[in-house]
Parts: sequence; structure tokens; C-alpha cells
Amino acid sequence: MSLEEIAFLFLAAVALVTAVAALLVRELVHTILWIAIFFVDLSAIYFLLNAPFLGVIQLGVYAGAVTVLLLFGVMVTRKRIFAREAATGIGPIPLALALVTFIFVVSAVAELGQTERPIRSYDPSYLSVNLFQTNGPWLLLLGLIMLASVSGAIYLVREGRE
Amino acid sequence: MTTLILSGFLALSAGLLAISIFGILTRRNFILLLIAIEIGMNAAILNFVYFAAFSGATTGLDGQAIAVVLIGFAATEIAVGLAIVLALNRLKGSINVAQAIELKL
Amino acid sequence: MIDTSFVGPFLPEIVLLAATLLVFLLDVLGVRRLEIAGAIGVVGVGVAFFLVAADLGFSPIAGFATIPSGQINVGGPTGLYAFTSLGLVFQLIFLTAAFLVGLASLSRPTGERGASIFYGLLTLATLGMLLVAIAADLIFLLLAIELTSISTYLLVAYTRKDGRSLEAAMKFYIVGALSTTLSFFGASLLFGAYGTTNLRAIAGMGSAGVPTLVLLGYGFLIAGLAFKVTLVPFHAWAVDVYDGAPTDVSAFLAGGTKKIGLFAFFLVFLGPILAVKASGASTLPFGTGPFNVGPVLQIALAAAAVLTMTVGNVLALLQKEMKRMLAYSSISQAGYMLIGVTVGTAPAIAGATLQIFAHVLMKGGAFLVVAAVAGVGVGPLITDWRGLGTRRPLLGVAFGLMLLSLAGVPLTIGFVSKFVLFSSAVEAQGWFVWLAVAGLLNSALSVFYYARVLKVMFFDVADPMPTTVPLAAAASSARLAFGGIGVGRAAAIALVAVVIVAVGIYPQLLLGPIQSAAQHFVNVGP
Repeated sequence: MSLEEIAFLFLAAVALVTAVAALLVRELVHTILWIAIFFVDLSAIYFLLNAPFLGVIQLGVYAGAVTVLLLFGVMVTRKRIFAREAATGIGPIPLALALVTFIFVVSAVAELGQTERPIRSYDPSYLSVNLFQTNGPWLLLLGLIMLASVSGAIYLVREGRE
Repeated sequence: MTTLILSGFLALSAGLLAISIFGILTRRNFILLLIAIEIGMNAAILNFVYFAAFSGATTGLDGQAIAVVLIGFAATEIAVGLAIVLALNRLKGSINVAQAIELKL
Repeated sequence: MIDTSFVGPFLPEIVLLAATLLVFLLDVLGVRRLEIAGAIGVVGVGVAFFLVAADLGFSPIAGFATIPSGQINVGGPTGLYAFTSLGLVFQLIFLTAAFLVGLASLSRPTGERGASIFYGLLTLATLGMLLVAIAADLIFLLLAIELTSISTYLLVAYTRKDGRSLEAAMKFYIVGALSTTLSFFGASLLFGAYGTTNLRAIAGMGSAGVPTLVLLGYGFLIAGLAFKVTLVPFHAWAVDVYDGAPTDVSAFLAGGTKKIGLFAFFLVFLGPILAVKASGASTLPFGTGPFNVGPVLQIALAAAAVLTMTVGNVLALLQKEMKRMLAYSSISQAGYMLIGVTVGTAPAIAGATLQIFAHVLMKGGAFLVVAAVAGVGVGPLITDWRGLGTRRPLLGVAFGLMLLSLAGVPLTIGFVSKFVLFSSAVEAQGWFVWLAVAGLLNSALSVFYYARVLKVMFFDVADPMPTTVPLAAAASSARLAFGGIGVGRAAAIALVAVVIVAVGIYPQLLLGPIQSAAQHFVNVGP
């Protein structure tokens, strides 16, 4: 087993464990900590896949901005930050549905076989050409989505009379 | 050149998607719902990055470009969700969702 | 030197964006009057409608066309967007919905706030819908859908101080985000299987690719998009959201934004279905020879169609509240439209398109009437509408027309669209005939609940004292024209009623352009 495979297995295990932990712990602040580890772990996977630029973006946007945003959400919406959530049941149907999804997808992709494939690496400058020229409309659409969300969000949380 | 097995990666994203669906169906706190949604989006983004890395096609780089766009999009989505939560919290003082998605007709 | 030649074809979209930005700019400057924001929004949508109609070549205004005619209906796997005549027809349909809602919302109670955010988000959502109609790339399509979705989450919440609509917005947001996740997951699997996200390229490879990845990808895409189109079993959210949202927004959701999901079905699933037909391959999904995804999709979509129309109709029968009844009826109508995607011939696509246009008018109009009636102090229950047809004959007749059209009574647009749609399924032979049978049986079933409302409105005697609560909104709207309904809303409702009858009597008015557009779509592909 090569070093990369061991690293991947470790990172995948951490990703799954932190994702489950984030949803199951009862203190919301701990949830945020787990999800921060999850985001950092995914960025490590991007580095493993020879996509360093994406890894950096993942660190900046997810591990940085989104985590802080969620933390603010927790702080603003509750009086005591470390208050515990009421325990919520797990429920047999959602668990079954999730398991079925997982088994279904895994059994299907298992047909892809165990062959090892080489990992391609791309020059980040090609990525910028792709983003801003070939597939520029994607970024334009993202900008429009941000226009809608920012204007609407500001309106929703704006205090006072109009 | 490093080589890795594609199906292992797909199993990881399938697991993350399953966790996300489970979370969306069971959690009541809106912040936890947002986190469950983010886990699912990350599974999709991971898929694009794998396929870019393992792709033999000339358009393989598209996968990484899509991943960049989706990371931005997911952050935007979170901002909208938090705005709705804050407005609701100001009005009602609680951000628990009564049965966001009902498993019934 | 920056190349600006690509700007021309996008003039309708640019007009809408300019209207949005102008509304937001005036909001920042402190100009927040309903009349001003509303006028900008309605005029922007109207101008965009005019430009798109010119692009389609309607005779008196064809000179204003901004898309060179050589760029419409061009085949070949290029680019992220493409102008097809079917896409332009859908742009007109979307703009109709936005225009009706914008016009009607001009008559909201004057005391209400948030006019600028309402019209700004309405035009942005419409912009997203127009971009859906020209998409030729899976990611472009999904991002355009998201532009509309995010605008509509916020539109549902725009009243801010109303707990019910905020909760509806929260539910809408969660369901929408789940659907987004599933759609992008499906898109990622298709990208892995085909190495591209171009819809034409994917359709061309319908019989290639890794079967498991392709099937899973399309499966997740069906699930994700089914949330947007409210297919059973992904429909439960729709009733609560349509019920909780401000009624004008419900009209936009049911009449407008739901249709982008259907057009996405056209773009994503008709490609492989048509490709299989063109190559004359066997229609057995797992028959001998290369793997074909088209027939599998047809069977899945047919099952979803029959299930959706049946469950929607049966549950609509049981409802006591008007908005919930209309919401379930809207779910069942999505089932009819899906027949067109399943059959996948040119007449079927034309029938589905006409059905979608008819539904914009009927359902959008019906929700606008509900808003008008709520504005004059009638409660949410169907029995609260007792005697309305005699007290307010014009409003009653308009609503009656919409219901008759929903039921598919001759001389209305609803009859024409159902006739074209079901006869196309019969023409296609094979097991598609059973889809037409299911549709007919369901139409017969739906007559019951529409007729019940008509009976309550026209034949039941009104109470001497209406039992309904006089709302604050009702008090503030008493100053509006037309007995509290308002000029804009009255105009929108009248327009809907006129078009329903006009197309019902003279269907060639719309059928011709739609049929040729559908034929182009079948020839060229998405």
C-alpha cells in the first residue's frame, strides 16, 4: 500500500467521522468545531488530488468564511452560547433511507473496479483561463445569484423603519 | 506519478451524501440543517474534483472550474439561509423547524 | 478591444437586469414607493416580452429582433447556451407569468412595505427563468435554476413580519437546498461518465458511458428536479409553501417558477430519449446490444407522471381550504405535463408546452383571484366563498372560467392543451396510450372538485352576515378601485380570462408557432 493510499484512507475516515459527529453532538458550538475539521480535511483531500488551488479556496471559503458565518448564526440566535440542544430522535425511516442511498450508490460504483488510475494535475493558470473565458457564463451566473442573495438577505435582517 | 483508486473516492462521497440526507431528514435545529446541506454540497464538489483528476477527456479541467463555482455558490446559499433564520429568530425566538420535510403524502 | 457583439442576443436579459438594479438603486436612495418600483418592474418585463416576441418573428414587430436568425436552432455541441425557438417560446411563457404577477401586485394594499425588494427579486427571478430557457449546459442550467430558486426563497419571506410566510420560506429553503444538492450530485456523476457537461454532447452519447454512473446520475437528477416540479413523492412541501406564502408570490411560484423545472426536464431528459428514437435502436431498456438510457428514463418518467396526477387529484378532492386545493391541483397538473416529456414526439412536446402556458394563465390567474378575494375580507375556506358569484359577478365569472379551463371544458385553453397532449400520446402507439387513458380518467376525477367550488360560488346562498374576519389588509385596501381589488389586479385577471377564451375558441393563434418550435427541438435537440 502506497503512502498516498494510506493518506486517503485516513482522510476519508476523518471526513466521515467528523460529518457524523457534527450532526450528532448536542452542543451547537461543538458542531461548528467538528464541521471546521471536516472542511480542513476535505481541503487536504484536494491537495492529495493535485488540486492545490481548490484546496486553498476550500480553506479560505469553507474553513474560514462559512465556519465563522455559522458561528455567528449560533451566537446571535441563542442566549447562552454553550446551551445544549434537546435530544432529537434518530428515527428509523431516515436512517434506512440514508443507508439505502449509500448501499445503492456504493454497489453501483463498485462496478467501476479496483483499477488504479493516474492523477492528472493542472496548471492553475489554465484553470483561470477556463473560469474566465471558456466557461465565463458560470461565474456571471454566480455573480447574479450573489446579487439576489445579498440584496434579499440585507433586506430580511435590516432593522427599524423603512 | 501517483495513482489512486477511483471507486474509493466515490464511496467517500456516497457516504457523505447519505449522512447529509440523514441529517436533513432528522435534525430540527436550523443551523444543523444548514450544516447537513453543506455536507451534501461538499460531496458533490468532491465528485467533480475526482472526475477532473481521473478524467482522460480534454474537458477534464471543467471539473475543477465547476468546483470553484460551486464552493462560491454554497457559501451564498448559507448566507441566504442564515438571513431567513435571523428574521425568524427575531420574530419567534426559536429556530427549530417543526418537521421541515414530512415523509408522508 | 472588447468584443461586444455578443451583447445583442441578450438584450431581454440585460433589460431585466437593468430594471432590477434600478429598483435597488432607488431603494438605496430612499425611493420606495410601490408605484415607482412596480412600474419599473412591469415595464422591464414588458419590454423583455416585446424583444423576445420580436426574436421569434411575430410579424408586426419582427424588425426589432436582436438575435440574428442564423443563430436560432443551430445544432452541434458548442457553448454553454443556445437559442432554440422552443426556448424562446418558453421565455415568453415565463415573462407572461412575471408580467401578470407584477401587474397584479401593483394593487397591493398601500400600507404594505417592501415594494422595492419584491419587484427587484421578481425581475431577478424572471432573469433566471430566461437563462434556464437558453441553457445548453448542465451546470449553466442548474445555476440558472438556483438564481430563480434563491430569489423565490427570499420572495416568500419578503413580508418579514409574518410568521407564517417566514416558516414557509424556511421550509422552501430546506427543500430547495436538498434538491440542489441532489441535482449537483447527479450532474457530477454524469460529468464523470461523459467527461463533459454539454447537454447536446451528453444526448449524443446516450448509448455510451459507464451504465452505472449514467443511471445513478440521471436518477439523482430526476429526484433533484422532481422537488422543483413537485412530483409525487417529492411534493409535500409545495402545499405548505403555497399556502403560507403571500398569495401573489404563490401565484408566481405555481404559475411561474415551477415551470423552469419542467423545461429542465425537457432539456435534460428529452436529449437521450430523442437520441434513442433517432438511431432507431431497440426500445427495450436492457435489450441486446449497447446500453440505452432513454427507455429507462421513459419508464421512470411515465410512472412519476401517473403517480403525480393521481395523488394530486385525490388529495385535492379532500381539501377544505381554497389555496391548498389549488396547490394540490397544481401538483396533479405537473403530472399531465410530464406526459409530453415521456412520449417525446413533436406533437407531445407541443402539447406539453401549450399545457404549461395554459397552466400559467389558469393557476396564476386563480391565485391572483384568491389574493383579490382575500383583500376584500373573504376567509380561506372554500365554504367562505359562498355566494361570491352573485355578489361579485365579474370576479366570479373570471374565476369560473379559470376553473372550467383547469377541468378541461371545451372552448377554453385547458381543453385545447389537454386535447393536443393526450392525442399525441395516443398517436405514439404502444404503451403510451395508457398514459392518455390515465390522463383522461384523472381529468374526469378533477371535474368533481372544480365543480364543487363553482356550486359553492354560484348556487349556494350567502349568509346574511359573512362570518369572515375583517382583515387589517382588507381595511387598508378599501380605497382601491374596483371595489377594493385595484386597477392592476383587475387588469391582470381580465387579461387572463380573455386569453383563456380567445385561445380556446381560436387555438391556431398559439398552436402554430408552438408546433413549429417543437418540431425544431426534435430535429436539433436541446
